[in-house]
Amino acid sequence: MKIELIEKIEGEAFLDVSCRQGKVRDAYVRFPHYRGIEKILVGRDPLDALVINPRVCGICGHAHLQATVRTLEKLAGFEPNEKVKKIREITRFCEMVQNHIKWFYLVVFDRLGLTYDFRTVHVMIQKINMLAAIFSGQWPHSSYALPGGVTCDPSQLEILQAKRLVQSVREHFVLLVGAFDIKNLSKDLKRLYDRLEERDLLYTGKSLDRFITFGSDSYVQSSKILHGKVRPAKLHNIREFGQEKSHAKGVTYKGKFYETGPLARTMLRGDLFVKQLHRRYKDSITTRIFARIYEVGTLLKKIDEHLRTIDISEPSYTPLEIPDGETMSAIEAARGSLIHKVCIEKGKIAEYVIITPTQWNLSNAKNGESSIIKKALIGAQCEATDIIFRSFDICSVCTTH
Amino acid sequence: MRPKVIWLQGVTCNGNSHSFVNLPDIEDCLRRYDWLYHPVLPSSCTLDELSDKECDILVLEGGLKPGWRKGEFDLEKLFLRLAKRAKKVVAVGSCAVYGGVFREYDENITGVLFSGAQKTKHYKSLAQKTVNIPGCPAHPEWIAFALDAERVKLDTYNRPKELYAYTVHSGCMRNEYFEWKVDAEQFGTKEGCLYYRQGCQGPFTHGSCNKILWNETASKTRVGTPCFGCTEPDFPKRDLFATKTYMGIPATMPLGVPKRAYLTITGIAKSFHIPRLHKRLFDED
Amino acid sequence: MARISKEERKRQIMDTALRLFSKEGFFEVTIADIAKEMKMSAGNIYNYFSSKDALAKELILYISKYLGNQIRQINMQPLSAKEKIKQIVELYFKTAKERPELIEYFLRIYLSNREVFKDGCEGMICVSPFVTEIMIFFEEGVRSGELRDQDFFSAFGLFMGYLGGMVFLMGEGMLPNDIEFYTDEIAENIYRALKNET
Ligand code: SF4
Ligand code: SF4
Repeated sequence: MKIELIEKIEGEAFLDVSCRQGKVRDAYVRFPHYRGIEKILVGRDPLDALVINPRVCGICGHAHLQATVRTLEKLAGFEPNEKVKKIREITRFCEMVQNHIKWFYLVVFDRLGLTYDFRTVHVMIQKINMLAAIFSGQWPHSSYALPGGVTCDPSQLEILQAKRLVQSVREHFVLLVGAFDIKNLSKDLKRLYDRLEERDLLYTGKSLDRFITFGSDSYVQSSKILHGKVRPAKLHNIREFGQEKSHAKGVTYKGKFYETGPLARTMLRGDLFVKQLHRRYKDSITTRIFARIYEVGTLLKKIDEHLRTIDISEPSYTPLEIPDGETMSAIEAARGSLIHKVCIEKGKIAEYVIITPTQWNLSNAKNGESSIIKKALIGAQCEATDIIFRSFDICSVCTTH
Repeated sequence: MRPKVIWLQGVTCNGNSHSFVNLPDIEDCLRRYDWLYHPVLPSSCTLDELSDKECDILVLEGGLKPGWRKGEFDLEKLFLRLAKRAKKVVAVGSCAVYGGVFREYDENITGVLFSGAQKTKHYKSLAQKTVNIPGCPAHPEWIAFALDAERVKLDTYNRPKELYAYTVHSGCMRNEYFEWKVDAEQFGTKEGCLYYRQGCQGPFTHGSCNKILWNETASKTRVGTPCFGCTEPDFPKRDLFATKTYMGIPATMPLGVPKRAYLTITGIAKSFHIPRLHKRLFDED
Repeated sequence: MARISKEERKRQIMDTALRLFSKEGFFEVTIADIAKEMKMSAGNIYNYFSSKDALAKELILYISKYLGNQIRQINMQPLSAKEKIKQIVELYFKTAKERPELIEYFLRIYLSNREVFKDGCEGMICVSPFVTEIMIFFEEGVRSGELRDQDFFSAFGLFMGYLGGMVFLMGEGMLPNDIEFYTDEIAENIYRALKNET
């Protein structure tokens, strides 16, 4: 058996693989660290979670903030107005975009030995984060969204600045990756495709072909795909379980493992480009990697749409009392569905549970059910484990909150 | 020869690594140093290869915790070995400086020189060469400053005075409201100061958040979020979205201001009703 | 006659004015009356105060500082809130007895004729030295856990309204006993109303 340390994945993880004749026979994922975020929250005022929870993760803190807000609002039975929804989506989509761009170049291109235009990539990251900060004050680690709304009160000036930024990022993006036209790939998409082909990786990393998404917003609706059929997904069917030698918990839906993330979202949305890839390569790393970068374009368009249609005269905030009680809700983060569960007693947090996207994708197999990562690895070339693993865009810090 | 840099992570959320990536002239910064290891940016080594490496500048992000593994290594041992040889140690972010948010879970998690506000056992040997850049996360410009600057004046927590002698309150767009004691009635407005009700810690938090803006464009208070005091050893305090008061008087005074002086001035300021400050900024007259 | 400083002379004028106001009523007394009482010319008084209103404002500031300074002495001592309440009540009643014109001016003139004080004495401006010390007393009492946290004005009104009411009764000659007779009980009542129950 060989133990691989997988680093630079927002923390680290160990992958225990046994190989026979160059092929993976068995695999087990271990996350070595634990930081106790859920424990830190106990006994605190519910609003403190808006500051503590983003610290789960430096690259998707915004999703943790919004999962917290949404869970507390659900408890209060509150539905924010259109303006608040749009602002929150804008900043969350910005976070997803910066994540995907970083991952695509700094991880995937880097690992596959492909060069890239670092300057343009960096300009895109910087600008998209600046766009978020116009509303959220800063990225990373903002706490600008709270139950009842957002703290910012943008004027037309900020909206215009934001529009210019998204425009510029969209232009850079198209120049770098080319069009998402399956028959006519060009630029970086083409270079990536060719490299996967050269290395015989196009069909590698196929998994269970089951997808799930719990978050619902203007981009995607909560649902799952099992045996090619789309059905609603219900939060109460989720179960967590402890895993040996690892600080990450595994997670199932009705006892089965599902993949979450951009591939799941684009499949559920029925995005043509991804469906076409899927027809040919199924849920291999090819489809998974392309789905993630494809999502960038859609999200940028969404941001632009919101900026065009937002009515800034609506109030940013409605005072809201958080009642005692228990509930859970989900939001879409860069890596997939992020679930927060809270129990409030006498105005203080009594219990808090966080289930991260990486937990879905990296659960180890259980009770004879193969898991997403295991299925993706088994039978693959042993040298391909690293890229298969990374095709899920692992977040170790999130997973071992 | 370009100075060698290793950016090591302890108990962290990676927020400082990602914050640093926002630095506008990051390319230049990548060129000026020989980056042996960075968790996100291009760098030449893997973790395993650090076993026999040395560096001129050692950056630590995240707290130190006894027994914490870093790949094959013990984090603290690896850190100390590298720190001993380094010319400069930069503790980036409040976790590396004081232990930070995760210390709330485990008191054994400490910063390099401080454990909360107390000195650690490494203080004696490392205080001379360590520059502390607290913040949750630290601002990219602050980090770049710590890498580049020589002979910096430090305060008692080893924070560069050039960055931390300011309070977050200096430069906040809501200063006028503070002066005339006009509080924001609720969240979500451009108007009003957040010190009296919403818990803003800007007047007693060291940092240049409103001088060197975040993402070149904003800050917490500029988008109506209270400052949470993340550069200080007691971050995160409790009840962060409300001002702690005693009989309506804020429990923590602006930095260095005696309570008597504060109450005298504010009592008087509040006696004048300045109509402009009580209206919405963009209202029609 | 020994030469006296301008400051001292100013104080003499204020003391005289306070006495006359409390005896004859604020609106009855003119600058000329004060001048006559002091054996000065009215013109000379105008060297000190540009108008009767200006004098009125200086007076309230003077009283506020006078009381403020004494409460400050109490605040600076390492006493419990309970003991401080007693000392403040004592101070207030003693002043009401020994220098009734001070308290009367505050209660009958300053609080009842706000229009006289509207320019330059708005809100807390002229009573700030006094109110600031009361705020500090409350703040420290709550911080130490001895007093219950509440809105400043609900506590302030209870404290000052009570004392003012007693002095009013005294002024009307309605108290069967000397006002200092009531000090202990009143201090106890105030303390019980303000203290932290838990
Ligand atoms: S909001 Fe905070 S930083 Fe801004 S003026 Fe008020 S107290 Fe100062
Ligand atoms: S504004 Fe305050 S809480 Fe925010 S980053 Fe600056 S110091 Fe930290």
